[in-house]
Amino acid sequence: MTETEEGIGGSGYTLDDLSAYLDRGRLPAIAAIDTNAECRAVLDSMERVGALSRELLASDVRENPSVDENWLGSLLTSISRELRAGRDIPLSSTDPTTSLSITEGAVRELVRSAGDSVDGVLVGSCTLIGTPDGTEPIQVSLTISVVLARPLQELADEVRKRVYSELLKHTELDIEAVNVTIGDVHIMTSEDPR
Amino acid sequence: MTALDTATDSLLAQRSADGDTRAFAVLVRRHGPFLRAYATRLTGSSSDADDAVQEALIAAWNQLDTLRDTTKVRSWLVSIVSRKATDRIRARRSSDELDDDLPAEGVTPEQAAVASSRLEALSVVLASLPEGQRQCWALKELGGYSYEEIGERLGMTPAMVRGKLARARATMVTGMEAWR
Repeated sequence: MTETEEGIGGSGYTLDDLSAYLDRGRLPAIAAIDTNAECRAVLDSMERVGALSRELLASDVRENPSVDENWLGSLLTSISRELRAGRDIPLSSTDPTTSLSITEGAVRELVRSAGDSVDGVLVGSCTLIGTPDGTEPIQVSLTISVVLARPLQELADEVRKRVYSELLKHTELDIEAVNVTIGDVHIMTSEDPR
Repeated sequence: MTALDTATDSLLAQRSADGDTRAFAVLVRRHGPFLRAYATRLTGSSSDADDAVQEALIAAWNQLDTLRDTTKVRSWLVSIVSRKATDRIRARRSSDELDDDLPAEGVTPEQAAVASSRLEALSVVLASLPEGQRQCWALKELGGYSYEEIGERLGMTPAMVRGKLARARATMVTGMEAWR
């Protein structure tokens, strides 16, 4: 490429200008650039090395396609120290000198595993509505994602039933309702890598 | 029972926000390799990249409940990694700043031409770029950020970003001439 006083190919535009023009998607169109063969060649080359850069990154990922499991293990250990435990939910005890409680986080875990145990279902978010201190009835709301294998109503009912019975078994919560919202229905696949 | 690793990013993000470390582990396995590759190209150092990715993932775990659109987990993670990586770059920057406006040295089109593949040649050319130029290139071409965002991350004006990016591109175009 030749950049002179008159810019690239005599267009009056510099390399910087062309590079910035490319990043604006060549818009608004500048005729002096678009009709200049040398400018067009520079833009196309820049675009090509840009695309090649993204190819290089994709090839880096292909060469190292998985994370180190030991590293992941220690990462998970360090984040679980900051676990979102939420509120403490009291449990009655026969020994008056002992106070027992279960965390809201543990209750959510119960809800998730009860819901997940239904074939074709994965629990998404899970919320306890109300004050879970045993003084008032609470509601459990969860979203689920389903693979369309059985009728939706049937899946939702099954989830509701299992969540309810698990909570009954392991907590003293007064469950007024278990609300199940079906978030998405599909073959569950990953978000497309860009 | 449905395997968690078939779940969408969105569902995994919701569960992670609720404190499910297993769901978070699936997200890390799925996106970790990309984040690491990106951070390595951005910082030019695999150890800086590892540290930046680790810090970013811990920050992500703590901020997951602030993520509004859970379908955008990946780009959200990329933005946190970009921030952590550029923080490292800025922390270690002092001596390498002066040579930044010099033209890239060391690689001629002939040298790049002996690489065994186009991608390897590009890698050689990239390695010859001054730090600041390479960072602008990575944040623009790989991260997709605007000049303003890049300037903010690297402590430069948008005009400086524009200039460095143009020089980086010119060096890359010249270096890759043999590989068209």
